[in-house]
Amino acid sequence: MNKHPARDEILGQVRAALGRRAETSVANVPASARVGPRQAGDANGEIEMLLGEIAKLGGNPRHLESKADLEAALENLVHEEGVKKATMWQTSELKELGVAEYLGTLGVEMISPHADRDQLADCDLGVTGVDAALPETGTLVLRSNPEKPRLVSLLPRVHLAILYPPLLDADLGTVLDKLRDDSCVTFITGPSRTSDIELTVTIGVHGPKALHVWIVEKTDRS
Amino acid sequence: MSAIPTHIDFRRNVQSVEPQVPASVRKATTRFLDTRAAVVDVIGQESWQALRQAGHDVRLHTINHLDYYLARLEEEVTRAGGHVHWARDAQEANRIVLEIAQEHRVKRVVKAKSMVTEEIGLNRTLVDAGVQTLETDLGEYIVQLAGTGPSHIMVPAIHLTKEGIADLFREKLGLDALPEAARLAALARAQLRQEFLAADMGITGANFLVAETGTLVLVTNEGNGRMCTTLPPLHVAVAGIDKVVPDLESLNVLLKLLPRSATGQKMSAYTAFITGPRRTEEENGPKEFHLVLLDNGRTIILQDEITRETLLCIRCGACLNVCPVYNHVGGHAYGFAYSGPIGAILLPQLVGTKVAADLPFASSLCGACADICPVKIPIVEILLRLRRRVVEGDTVEPAVSPATLRLGVQMVARAMSIPWLYDLAGQLLRIAQAPFRRGAWLPSLPPPLNRWTMARPLPALRADWRAAWRRRTPEGRTRQRRIRIALVAALASAAAYVGWRLIQRQDRGE
Repeated sequence: MNKHPARDEILGQVRAALGRRAETSVANVPASARVGPRQAGDANGEIEMLLGEIAKLGGNPRHLESKADLEAALENLVHEEGVKKATMWQTSELKELGVAEYLGTLGVEMISPHADRDQLADCDLGVTGVDAALPETGTLVLRSNPEKPRLVSLLPRVHLAILYPPLLDADLGTVLDKLRDDSCVTFITGPSRTSDIELTVTIGVHGPKALHVWIVEKTDRS
Repeated sequence: MSAIPTHIDFRRNVQSVEPQVPASVRKATTRFLDTRAAVVDVIGQESWQALRQAGHDVRLHTINHLDYYLARLEEEVTRAGGHVHWARDAQEANRIVLEIAQEHRVKRVVKAKSMVTEEIGLNRTLVDAGVQTLETDLGEYIVQLAGTGPSHIMVPAIHLTKEGIADLFREKLGLDALPEAARLAALARAQLRQEFLAADMGITGANFLVAETGTLVLVTNEGNGRMCTTLPPLHVAVAGIDKVVPDLESLNVLLKLLPRSATGQKMSAYTAFITGPRRTEEENGPKEFHLVLLDNGRTIILQDEITRETLLCIRCGACLNVCPVYNHVGGHAYGFAYSGPIGAILLPQLVGTKVAADLPFASSLCGACADICPVKIPIVEILLRLRRRVVEGDTVEPAVSPATLRLGVQMVARAMSIPWLYDLAGQLLRIAQAPFRRGAWLPSLPPPLNRWTMARPLPALRADWRAAWRRRTPEGRTRQRRIRIALVAALASAAAYVGWRLIQRQDRGE
C-alpha cells in the first residue's frame, strides 16, 4: 500500500513533465538569479532615509537624542493618542530605557504582553523594539520569541517601535539571512493600509491605526 | 465567490459588462501604473531590468527543478513542526481542509486574500459543511457580501463605488454609514476584529514558499493576514506547487519585484515570514500549522516547454493594469478567479482549452503585458501556443475548435503562402462580397460570418493595391490586363466545368 498516493503521483508527474527519471538530489541556483547588495550611504544619511520613508507612508518617525527627549516624546504620545492602557515587549533594551516606568508615572496602566488577547486588543498602545531596519524602503523587522510576542505590534490601536541606529541594514539581502531561526518574522513598512474602496488610501484597517517609530541614540541609554 | 466554470464565453461576458466598469477599472489601473513607474524610476531602468532578469532566472530555475524543491520544502516544513498535505485537484484540496477543520471542531474560519482558494472554490465547501467562512481582506469582504467574485487581483472590489458599498453594508449588515472610504473601512474593522478574536482557524494562501527553510511568505497591507496567522489556534495555508522558491536569497530579488509591480509600493505594509507553528505559547501564533500543496493542473502546464513559463507568475497583476483588453472589460469577463493576460494564459491550462477556448484570443497581442511582467513571462508566445492548441491541438490536448474553423484556418494559411492563390482568393472574395456590399461596408453576412457582423460591420474588400502598383507603368498595365484576362478565362472555364458536371450528374440521376 502506498502511504502517500497524492504526493507520489504529483512528484511523479512533475518528474515526467520535466523529463527526469529519478529524484533530483541537487540543484544549484544560477548566478544570474542573484543581484548584488545595495551599498549603504553614511550613517546619518541612512537614518534620514529611514525616517523619510516612514513619514511618506503615513507613519510618525522621530529622531531622539537623549533620554530627556524620549520622556518628552512619551508624554506627548500619551496625550495625543489618548493612551490609557499599554503593553510592551519584555526585552532588556526596552527595560533599560525605562519606558514602562515612565508610562506608569504618566498614569498609563501597563498590561502584560502575555495577558489574554482580549485585554491586549483593548490596549491603546503596544511598544516594541526592532531587530533590524531597511532605510531604502522604510521597513522595520520584528522577530518573534517569548520576550517579543507577536500581538504587541498587532492588536493595540497604536504601535510604537523604538530602535537604535546600529540596527539599520543596507539591503534586504543581508536582513533575509538573519531570519533563519524564528517561527515568525514580520516586516512592517508603515501603518496598516488599504486602497480597496475606490482606491482611496485609508490608514489603519486591521492592524494598528498609527505607527510611531523612534530612533534613540544609544550613547544616552544609561 | 465564483464557481468553477464549465464553459467560459468571453464574448457573452463582455456584453454584460456594466458601463461604469471600464471607467473605474481604468482609474485603478492608471493609478497602479503611475505609482509603479515612480518606484521603478527610483531604482533606475538598468537595475530594474537586471532585477527582472534575475527574477525570471530564479523562477525558471525553480520550475525546472520543481521536484527537488518541493521535496526539500516538505522536509523543512515538517522539521519546523508543520504538516504538509498534497492535493491532486480542487476536490482533494477542499476535502483535506475540511477534514482538518472537522478534526478540530472548527466553527469559524477567517480567511486572508488568496487566489488559489478562489480557484478551488474552498469557501463553498466549508460553508456547505456548516463552517462559517469569512473573507477578511476589505475588498474580498465586500465582494463576499455582494455575492460576486473579485474583479482584480489586487483590488477585488474595484468595480464597486463607495455609495454601492454603503448600500451593501446597510442591506447585509444593517449598518448605516456615510459613503466615505474611511468610515466604511472603520465599520469593517470593528466587525472583523470580533471575528478574528473568535475564530478557530485561519486560512491563507502563500506568496512564496521557501524550500531551504520551510518558510511561508505572506505579502499584505491591511494586517488581516497577520490576524489570520496569529490569532486562531490553527493556521492552514493553501498554495499551488508553483509557489516554491529555492532559498531566502531568492526573496532578495522577488520581494523587490512583487510590491513594486503590484501596487507601486517599495514594500507592502506587512510581509510575514512564517516557519511552522509557534514554538512557545508566549510568543503567540497558531499551535498547528498545515500546508496544502495543490497541483490542480499545474503538472500539465509543466509538460510543454513554452507554456511552462506560465508558472513563473508571482501574481502581481501588472499585466492586468497595462492590458488594453482588461482595461475595457474588467475581471469578470474572464469568467473565473484569474483575469487579464495572465488569466488568458493560465485559465485555459488550468480548466482545459475546452472550457476556456475563447481566452487565448482575448488579446490584441500587443505585448505590453510581457514588457511589464516582473519575471518576464513570454505571454505573447504562450498566447500563440494556446491559440494553436485550440485550433490544431498538440501533445497536451486535442483540438477543440469546430472542424469547419480548423478547415477554414488551414485554407487561409495555404492561400496566404502561395502568391497566385492569394491573388485568386482576393479576386473571388471581391466577387462573392458583391451581394452583401453597401458602399464601403458589409453590414451583415450569413452564418457563421455573422459572428463578426452582429457586433460591427466588416469593411468591404476594395481596390487591389498590387494591381494598382502594376498599372503605374505601360508594361505593367499590359501585364495587369493579361492577368485579368487569364483570371476571367480561368473563372469562366471553372464555371463551365462545374456546370457541365452538374448537368451530367442530373442526367445520371434521371
